[in-house]
Amino acid sequence: MTYDEKLARFNEHIEDGGKVETNDWMPDDYRRGVLKFVEMHANSEIMGALPERECLPIAPSLRRKMSLAAKIQDEVGHAQLLYRVAEDLGKSRDTMFHDLVTGRSKFHNVFHYPVRHWGDVAIIGWLIDGAALVTQAALRDSSYAPYARVLKRICAEEQLHLRHGEHITMELSAGTDEQRAMFQEALDRWWLPIIHFFGPRSNVAKDLLLRWKVKTRTNEDLRQEFLDRYVPKILELGYTFPTPVPYRDADDYLVRDEDIDWEPLNDIKKNQGPETERRLTWRRDIYETHRWVRDAMAEPAVHAA
Amino acid sequence: MDVYEVFKRSGHKEPFAHAGAVIAPDSEMALIMAKECFLRRREGEHLWVTRRSDIHSFSDESLLEIAADKSYRFPEAYRDVVTKREKAKVRAKEVMAERNAS
Repeated sequence: MTYDEKLARFNEHIEDGGKVETNDWMPDDYRRGVLKFVEMHANSEIMGALPERECLPIAPSLRRKMSLAAKIQDEVGHAQLLYRVAEDLGKSRDTMFHDLVTGRSKFHNVFHYPVRHWGDVAIIGWLIDGAALVTQAALRDSSYAPYARVLKRICAEEQLHLRHGEHITMELSAGTDEQRAMFQEALDRWWLPIIHFFGPRSNVAKDLLLRWKVKTRTNEDLRQEFLDRYVPKILELGYTFPTPVPYRDADDYLVRDEDIDWEPLNDIKKNQGPETERRLTWRRDIYETHRWVRDAMAEPAVHAA
Repeated sequence: MDVYEVFKRSGHKEPFAHAGAVIAPDSEMALIMAKECFLRRREGEHLWVTRRSDIHSFSDESLLEIAADKSYRFPEAYRDVVTKREKAKVRAKEVMAERNAS
């Protein structure tokens, strides 16, 4: 079979809703595209652990501290699962890690921003995990089957994280003026990054990952689902939105394209976000100081005679 | 002859799951027998076999228990989010009423 025949058969398979396994034949662009996408997801999970890690010392109770620590562990675990999927596509974990900490690869925009207080933990746990869950739930139908299978487990845990985040949000929201002001202040800072999180409108004609059903829905479609689901809940809690302020149109909550300032996202795409440098340095330092653990675990056990 | 454990995947969305075991002289024969036994009516779309002696497990199952109270890892720990949500809505109404009055 010629390459063109193989490609035609592959496209037909995908068109019919077929799935792809690691050892199946796939076009190089498909392999590269999936690898880059899953690697970026893995990077985001491991970098996403850091902003919440920064909040551990300010947890208001021991119980909150333990549950936040457990959640951070889950996120790091997701990174390990995803790096495993990416590795099988032909790039070693060491190389992926090196590319991450030297700024050659990317991670999600929301993890380039600072955290200031416990209100940030509520926003990250409820709204950012809520946004992530909307996108990840859609990816459970991805054409790349090993990724779709890993996402089942990840989404189950994210569901728990969402509950954890909502729990904190509701506690602040039922609380004192000061507690409510913390949530509002955090919302004011995070709203635009959350809108950015889904990315600009998809270019359906050009996006190979959409055509090959690695991604199953457009960015704007996912953003809309998020807005419809969360904007009414936030309004019901008596909070207000900064720009881009959502407005109601029949059953939908929309934001105007012209209200979205994309400049901050463009800086982040160049790895020049407010916290990019510091967090990557921190991640690199952790990698170095923990080297002895990896080395020790790579050796078979030595049993006392 | 060796015992081979058989793992089957019933669809691309599912992980491989243990299906049973066969006795065979080598892995090739084990796969043929596993196919006859476990995919007779297309109950799945892929099979693995592995020698039972190559599978490692915990000899003491008590080691699988979670060592301390980690209830916060489970959804039940957040069940009272329902009452918290109601309290937050009541509080929000107060706040919004004050805001409108001023």
